[in-house]
Amino acid sequence: MKILIIEDEREISQSIKNYFKTNGIQCETAENYNLALTKINSYDYDCILLDLMLPDGDGFDILKELKAKNKTEGVIIISAKENLETRLEGFKLGADDYLTKPFHLAELLVRMQALIRRKNFKGSNNVIFNEIVVEIFSKTVSVNDIKLDLTKKELDLLLFLIGNENKVLSKSAIAEHLSGDMADMLDNHDFIYAHIKNLKKKLTQAGSGDYIKTVYGLGYKWENEQ
Amino acid sequence: MSNKKLLLKTTNSFLIYAVIILLTAAPIFYYTCQWLYIYETDEVLLFHKGAFVNENHRNYNAIDIAAWNKYNENVTIVPDMGVTRDSIVGEMLFEALSDQKEPFRILYAPVEINGKKYTYIEKRNLVEMEGMVFSVAFMFLFIIIILLIGIIWISKKSAAKIWKPFYNTLSQIEDFEIDKNNPPQFTATDTDEFDRLNKSLERLIEKNTLIYKSQREFVENAAHELQTPLALFQTKIDTLQQLDLTQEQSALVGALNKDVSRLNRLNKNLLLLSKIDNEIYLEHDTIILNEYIDKNIDFFIEQAQAKNVKINRYFKNILRTKGNSALTEVLINNLFLNAIRHNVKDGVIDIRIENNSLKFINTGPEIPLQAQNIFNRFSKVNPSSQGNGLGLAIIKKICEINQWDIRYSFKDSLHTFEVIF
Repeated sequence: MKILIIEDEREISQSIKNYFKTNGIQCETAENYNLALTKINSYDYDCILLDLMLPDGDGFDILKELKAKNKTEGVIIISAKENLETRLEGFKLGADDYLTKPFHLAELLVRMQALIRRKNFKGSNNVIFNEIVVEIFSKTVSVNDIKLDLTKKELDLLLFLIGNENKVLSKSAIAEHLSGDMADMLDNHDFIYAHIKNLKKKLTQAGSGDYIKTVYGLGYKWENEQ
Repeated sequence: MSNKKLLLKTTNSFLIYAVIILLTAAPIFYYTCQWLYIYETDEVLLFHKGAFVNENHRNYNAIDIAAWNKYNENVTIVPDMGVTRDSIVGEMLFEALSDQKEPFRILYAPVEINGKKYTYIEKRNLVEMEGMVFSVAFMFLFIIIILLIGIIWISKKSAAKIWKPFYNTLSQIEDFEIDKNNPPQFTATDTDEFDRLNKSLERLIEKNTLIYKSQREFVENAAHELQTPLALFQTKIDTLQQLDLTQEQSALVGALNKDVSRLNRLNKNLLLLSKIDNEIYLEHDTIILNEYIDKNIDFFIEQAQAKNVKINRYFKNILRTKGNSALTEVLINNLFLNAIRHNVKDGVIDIRIENNSLKFINTGPEIPLQAQNIFNRFSKVNPSSQGNGLGLAIIKKICEINQWDIRYSFKDSLHTFEVIF
């Protein structure tokens, strides 16, 4: 999988690149508008991460260019701008998702995975991890073909964990992912503990491996058992 | 002391002056008129006597005098009464015509007729005077009253006209709010003082608005500018926590994570406040509060679980309101989280909807909050709490721009926040 990160803050694009590398995602970067244009015209990407404020141009123009060239890349806007108009304008011009800075890399990763899943959707749209199968469309989870009864939050959590396999996830990243729009107001992230506990219980009871590891002082990690 | 209107004050002093003038002028005028009339009468008496002396009456003999006395009722010539010079006295005499005593002026004057000394007596009835003085006085007073009323009326009118620009300016300033975009439009005036007043007010307002705007922009820009370093901070921590860390290091990174998300929250709230200030949220919809609360209750129950706080809903009626839906949601979320955050273990939150009021009643610290400054930015009640001191300021701001009423009360160990829509 190959993606393009159009972002003038080199440190941010480097962090993204490093984080995604271990998940088998190859990242190319472009720090400015012109370089970005050259790259999207020369290569095809699975996904493009787009910052709107570039030193030599407007990110929206890149969206227009993609549209004009009939490019089918999924685009996630990553921007410090946080208002409805910009968001709507982005979607109108063909962006698929919008993530406001600052964000958790884990959040960006699962959003990108979800976008690619939607783009490549060909009849089956499943996330499979060993004996666990998550059917995105019907929102069902089964372990060794036994259906699990998960709440919406638990399903969300499961996808977030699997998507960030082998990554340490902070409580705040998980909490913010689970609470969506409300995240900005939460000052206590302890509620995720109950969700983790329940999910873990339901999975292991259904005969799945115990993949959720607690990382002391930090959060949790989805790890394939050795 | 009760405040009086400016115009009332000037007319009041006018009225008091008028009453005093009328009360003092009436007797003075009456007596002056009377004195003048008597003076005139006396003049006439003396004139008559002079004429009598000049018109050769001195040739009268005793028979002529008797005849004179017979035919003249008012002037009589009597033998010398010992009067040495002209003297006039006022006296009440019986008047046969009206059958009563009436006031008279009587002149006693020494005259010489045919070398013999006589006393000339002439009397004049003053009854006419009474009537005349009265009617003159009355007319005069009438004119004074008309004049005063006129003066008061005209001064009132012209004062109202003169002060009109002042009242105009006053009402403009009263309507002025620095956070709304409505600078006052003063009407031009040809009164120098009011013109100066308007101009200095304009300068003052312009300057203050400018300062206010730049401050507001500063908050917004600062919050915006902070987003990039915050993003860098966040992604680096995310990267850092993937490294093989010792327990001690993990704990540190975990704490850092908390700090950055707290910083992030603070920044987002500041941005939200400045956005509300900048009137970003102008669209209005009808919102059904019951529905919104019901829809999100699971989320809040989840949040309350850590403290084992019970949430009860008492909806007496459907509460619809007009407002920006995004902001109304923020309002309710903040009220909710506030009630959870400051609650105690095994506490209770009651949400009541009654008529057009929404109440969040919660258990919490046993002491009431300081109602006068809890809604100020960064006025934290409990310094150790995770709140950033902006939650209630946001609540207040949202209520303000929608013209809703927010109240805090403390009763029976329960904290109540009530919004009246």
